[in-house]
Amino acid sequence: MQHETPTLYGVLAEFASADELVAACKRVKAAGYEKVEAYSPLPLHEVNHALGHTSKLSSLIFCGGLTGALTGFGMQTYISVFDYPMNIGGRPYFSWPSFIVITFEMTVLFSALTAVIGMIALNGLPQPYHPLFNSAAFERASRNRFFLCIEADDPRFDLAEAKKVLASTQPLLVEEVPH
Amino acid sequence: MTHTLARQAPTLGDRASRWGTIALGVGVIALAAAAYFGWAREDGFKRLQHAWLVACAFWLSISLGGLFFVIVQHLTRAGWSVVVRRVAELVAANTLVTAILFAPLVAMVLKGDASLYPWADPHHVAEHPLLAAKAPWLDAKFFALRVVVYFGTWFLIGRWLLKRSTEQDGASGVEPTLALERRAPPAMVAFALTLNFAAFDLLMSVVPTWYSTIFGVYVFAGSVMSFFAFSVVALRFLQKHGLLEREVNVEHYHDLGKFLFAFVFFWSYIAFSQFMLIWYADLPEETFWFKTRMEGPWAIVSVVLLFGHFLLPFAGLLSRHAKRRLGILTFWAVWLLVMQAVDMFWLVMPSVETSANPVTLAGIVSPIDVACLVGAGGIWLFALTKLAGGRALIPVNDPRLPQSLAFENF
Amino acid sequence: MTVDSTSALHLDEPYARPVLVEGDRDIAAVTRRVCGVVEAPKPPKAWYVAITITSAMTVMLFGCVAYLIATGVGVWGNNSPAFWGWDIVNFVFWVGIAHAGTLISAILFLLRQKWRTSINRAAEAMTLFAVCCAGLYPSIHVGRIWVAYWLFPVPNQMQMWPNFRSPLLWDVFAVSTYATVSLLFWYMGLVPDLATLRDRATTKLRKGLYGFFALGWCGSARHWQRYERAYLILAALATPLVLSVHSVVSFDFAVSQVPGWHTTIFPPYFVAGAIFSGFGMVVTTMVPARELFGLKELVTLRHLENMNKVILATGSMVGLAYATEFFIAWYGGNPYERFVFLNRALGPYWWAYWLMVFCNVVAPQFLWVKKIRTNLWAMFVISIFVNIGMWLERFVIVVTSLTRDYLPTSWGYFAPTWVDICTFAGTFGLFLTLFLLFCRYLPMVAIAEVKTVLPAAHPHGGHGHKEGAHHG
Repeated sequence: MQHETPTLYGVLAEFASADELVAACKRVKAAGYEKVEAYSPLPLHEVNHALGHTSKLSSLIFCGGLTGALTGFGMQTYISVFDYPMNIGGRPYFSWPSFIVITFEMTVLFSALTAVIGMIALNGLPQPYHPLFNSAAFERASRNRFFLCIEADDPRFDLAEAKKVLASTQPLLVEEVPH
Repeated sequence: MTHTLARQAPTLGDRASRWGTIALGVGVIALAAAAYFGWAREDGFKRLQHAWLVACAFWLSISLGGLFFVIVQHLTRAGWSVVVRRVAELVAANTLVTAILFAPLVAMVLKGDASLYPWADPHHVAEHPLLAAKAPWLDAKFFALRVVVYFGTWFLIGRWLLKRSTEQDGASGVEPTLALERRAPPAMVAFALTLNFAAFDLLMSVVPTWYSTIFGVYVFAGSVMSFFAFSVVALRFLQKHGLLEREVNVEHYHDLGKFLFAFVFFWSYIAFSQFMLIWYADLPEETFWFKTRMEGPWAIVSVVLLFGHFLLPFAGLLSRHAKRRLGILTFWAVWLLVMQAVDMFWLVMPSVETSANPVTLAGIVSPIDVACLVGAGGIWLFALTKLAGGRALIPVNDPRLPQSLAFENF
Repeated sequence: MTVDSTSALHLDEPYARPVLVEGDRDIAAVTRRVCGVVEAPKPPKAWYVAITITSAMTVMLFGCVAYLIATGVGVWGNNSPAFWGWDIVNFVFWVGIAHAGTLISAILFLLRQKWRTSINRAAEAMTLFAVCCAGLYPSIHVGRIWVAYWLFPVPNQMQMWPNFRSPLLWDVFAVSTYATVSLLFWYMGLVPDLATLRDRATTKLRKGLYGFFALGWCGSARHWQRYERAYLILAALATPLVLSVHSVVSFDFAVSQVPGWHTTIFPPYFVAGAIFSGFGMVVTTMVPARELFGLKELVTLRHLENMNKVILATGSMVGLAYATEFFIAWYGGNPYERFVFLNRALGPYWWAYWLMVFCNVVAPQFLWVKKIRTNLWAMFVISIFVNIGMWLERFVIVVTSLTRDYLPTSWGYFAPTWVDICTFAGTFGLFLTLFLLFCRYLPMVAIAEVKTVLPAAHPHGGHGHKEGAHHG
């Protein structure tokens, strides 16, 4: 049988519990690997701690909210004062108390859209293909198993070495994942 | 449990009497100053009564906010807050002194002196059909009775919560905690009813023709906010003096900060609702109250509230970082306490007509106001140190204490 | 300090935290149980019966709407002086119902009430479906429904803009923002669960469909981190949003000068009422749904009891608001205001008023008794009362004030027509049809979130430690 050797994406280890995953993350990180990623069916703060993840989403959302507030208040002022002034109940054109509600709603709308779209975009979703989907075991990552992957483009990556490190963390399984 | 506590309970010890004496001393001097300034002024007596109401309402609101907080902690069986709860219990139980501070104002009403509450003068009521219509409610004796009921309720609830919680400190079982949990719901009902009507009676009836159904909620929002602010300041103060250093950490401050932020926002929401609805409908019988506050120097005070009580602290406390940096958090806590005083001032003081013309900002603020605030505060703090006395500053034996000590925000 | 008792109801030790999931409490079992409902080849028989009835009602709704559009708004009972009738009553009723979902997902999340994880998904779905029912009313009430887009500031050939000083326009923004944010919240929560369904799918069609909506979610730690951050901030945004939506609805009434409408407590009072009615509806639907789909171990009696406590608390707040309104109506001394309140209690709609007081204030008081709030039948009956009472509340507010305006010459009596009644019944059909479809095709319980409250989710092994600490 002749077939093309696919390029390697990384080495994947499977764990039965969150505890083991966290321990493995720490060990792999300590071994000096940078391009490491954990996969789990639920969020685990300890893993993010161990892998040193941070996010700039909050500041993005703040900008979104500010844009929303300015758009909301600006739009109402422009329309009600300059572009289409109407005398309603003898109230001043610039009736700022009446503009507060829509300004608030626009702030929330813009921030919420930024939050969700920002999260999706920063995560690179939607991703129709991910190399790990090639692994049959990885289907359990959305159910009850925990995975850790050392990626092949890590500068320190060496197949045998990576497998050895992962094997030392008592995984259920270690496998190579092709691209 | 990895987090354990040395069995030695932190107490104020001899600091209680030292701090108490200082507070009392400052309070008495301030009171003397207030009396002097009042005597030197033509409408001094009237001014003094208004300023005294502002001062009492300010310190009372902190106690009431504390009462709310403590009841809610038992109601929800909260774990995170145990280490900060004793200080709250002490604040909540400190209502007897406010009742005493309030007493002169009630005595004035009973005497028929209408300089603070215009409805206390029967002649004035008889001439004014709107007031005559509500005379059965705004009746001096009935008013005094209600005030007794309000303060009595707060006193009993506050003392009982403190007593049971202190009992738990030395108990072998968890019976006191269970009792607190069982009684928290009815206590909350009593609290809600009394606070709502007390706000109408003590503060809203200063302008007896004016009414707003949301007024009780407005006072509630400010009270809870100022309690959280006071709590941050008090805990920082204690820690500066080497108390509760290990027990209360940044995680607890973070949560207090979140609540402080939430109640800044809640107050703004309620204040905006009240203002916008009255401004929009523009009915003369309601609008006049805001009109007074939107003209001349009062407009400046209103703008100070808009920025100082909402926009600036909102922006300042928004980020997680600000709530976890104790310097920043303490700054905003002090700031918001000042704003609560400004808010009480803004509610009460426009009723005092000033003869100065044109009216300036300097014309509406008087040294009497500051002196009364400090004077009432000194006495209130003195009573607080008396209550704190030999008590442990955290519920040392609370079954949920380990959860609180181990608490972490994510 | 691990809590291992299987019955969550008898845990009275203060340090004990209730078990949130009963029965088999491992991660795989929870996945299996929730996905099982969706993956079962056939739903229970009762499901077919129910959806037949509700879809027939939905057809009736669309029939009524078509008739209204073809004929005109005159087919409703709205007429001088009650130009607002069941349309606004039902709008407010459904918007109110829509509040529980976001409250559970956002406010209880911020307060670290972990018990929310079992019910938030279904409640959020209810929020969306209730907003659909609510949004229908103003859009068909505008009369010329084909120009309903004028409500939005869309540049048009007449160079006209909407009037931003009108509370009705604020409503357009508030409700549409609420609908959008609720949808985002709900969908974002669904993504990891859709990935689970994708990975478990056995047919090409299911894999394709769930896979498409799962966006290729792979559960990577970095993704989870941004996801959680976004979720937290969304919750922080949705919290004031929930307050704002029903406040804005209350502004529709309260900015006016109509006696009985213009009262400043309306915003917080409407919000409390909305939460009250929303939780009422969640109990009404969850009690049968958990039986029908075998989710009793996930949605435990403890969850229902907690919801009943919220019903009791918000019901009491509503009662306090009624009392305050009544008191200030007298205290304010305005004769019109005094008249309207007396008229509510003693006038032609006295029956609606007293029924409302009974349903909203008296009935929930039974929930003080633990036996009652943990009894399925009792809570179901009380929740029905709450639904009825909150509908009546809006009816009383709208109709009594409009039919007894300042001028006695323009007094009247409002009565609905058959179109009003059938349209309203039809919205229940729409709501329940959507809910039944949701139960069948999407995970009714937030799988990934429930996993976070299981002992296995907590590294360091100490279950009591972490779960306890995160309880609010």
